[in-house]
Amino acid sequence: MSTDPRDFVSINGIDRRDFLIRGSGLVSAAFLAACDSRGPKAADKLLKYAERKNLVVERKLFRHTSMDVVQAGAHEAGNKLPSYFIAPTVPVWDESVGGKWALEVSGLVGNPVRLTLEDLQKLPQVSNRVNHYCVEGWTAVETWTGVPFTELARLVRADPQARYVDFQSFDDDYHESWDIESAMHKQTVVAYGLDGKMLEPAHGAPARVYSPVKLGYKNTKYLTKIVFMPKMNGGYWSDQGYEWYGGT
Amino acid sequence: MVGSGLRIFNAYPAFARKGEMFCCYPFEHKPIPDWLTFGGWLGGARHWHFAMMWVLVVNGLIYLGFIYLHGEWRDLVPRKGDIRDSWQMVKFYTFRRKDHPHQGKNNALQKTAYFLLPVFGALAVVTGIAIWKPVQLSWLTAMFGGYVWARYWHFIAMLAIVILSIGHIFMVFAVDPYSLTSMITGNYDPSLSPEARNARPFYHLFPKRVRPVSAPPPPEAT
Repeated sequence: MSTDPRDFVSINGIDRRDFLIRGSGLVSAAFLAACDSRGPKAADKLLKYAERKNLVVERKLFRHTSMDVVQAGAHEAGNKLPSYFIAPTVPVWDESVGGKWALEVSGLVGNPVRLTLEDLQKLPQVSNRVNHYCVEGWTAVETWTGVPFTELARLVRADPQARYVDFQSFDDDYHESWDIESAMHKQTVVAYGLDGKMLEPAHGAPARVYSPVKLGYKNTKYLTKIVFMPKMNGGYWSDQGYEWYGGT
Repeated sequence: MVGSGLRIFNAYPAFARKGEMFCCYPFEHKPIPDWLTFGGWLGGARHWHFAMMWVLVVNGLIYLGFIYLHGEWRDLVPRKGDIRDSWQMVKFYTFRRKDHPHQGKNNALQKTAYFLLPVFGALAVVTGIAIWKPVQLSWLTAMFGGYVWARYWHFIAMLAIVILSIGHIFMVFAVDPYSLTSMITGNYDPSLSPEARNARPFYHLFPKRVRPVSAPPPPEAT
């Protein structure tokens, strides 16, 4: 058998130049396939690992004394505050189906309660003028009025074993679970008022959780249930791949 | 980092707080072209950004530690006359000056760029932390003028890094490709330096032909 490289050319019909062109084309095609705009699939594990480590860092960084501060001169967003919900239309509590709306606070607690809107309004009330931090990158200044979450925790005698809290809604199956520290932050409220008026359906009426320490998507609207839990319970957006912690 | 950052930016390609206007960005609400972004979607890009930020920080610290231990930071700190000398380089590159100003290891324009790059890198990291933790580290966010401005400075720092990097890579190939060897091995042949070649972008890329000088005759034995 001859080892003349030209034999290879005559048999395969390609020469070195062809080989280089085709070869580089193949390599780039493989690169593009493995590395589309989402990045290589193989990196998913690494990204999950980084998210777990970041969660540890973020929870260590959390301080109850760190407060959101609205910049001097910032304007209220007012009707420019976007309204998000996952149902096809604005979710409105239907009394003819579910009876009178009430917020259930239960789980690992000594004294589970059901609170109507009137009950909520009788509890200690605060108004916080704070920033809203959306995962998309926009911010909005609003004044939220409601019951400090710490008051609710005291009322139901939350068990120290409860390290997480799930906020559930009647907006389809929307819910988001939180770490207990963020829920017990002074600026976390179960809000029924926005900018001095009762909350409108567009922004989560009758009541929603609101805190500047979490990104917008963690602040469940249209509340039905607050459940104290020993373990985290994911969430609507967290289950779709957004980070679970979502802390600011 | 840049690609995933632009993908995140595209989720709200503007700076203004809701209900306000922003003075200083002419392209409010115009998204960045998709092909410049990375991560595929907002959540994915955030995961990339928050994972790779550690690589950026560690890389930066190794760089700063290295130039500190080797004393090479001295080559980069700005000195009196650097601005003037950088301007001379600009004049040379734009054909308003004939001879190459003093090159040294790095010419004044290079020194300015290599000093600014880590400064903008640090700015990108610190403003990034400020918009990552605007409540927990609200003092830091406030230092940059609040969340909206911190996000703006983060964008500007990115832009500066991109411009410096593109300029740097362009100049390597257009003016001093011989420095590629010295970047890797540390060796450098001064006879190939841009000053020796009087090199402008794409001008005098090849070394000057030096006419061989015949060796003097050996001294006669006595």
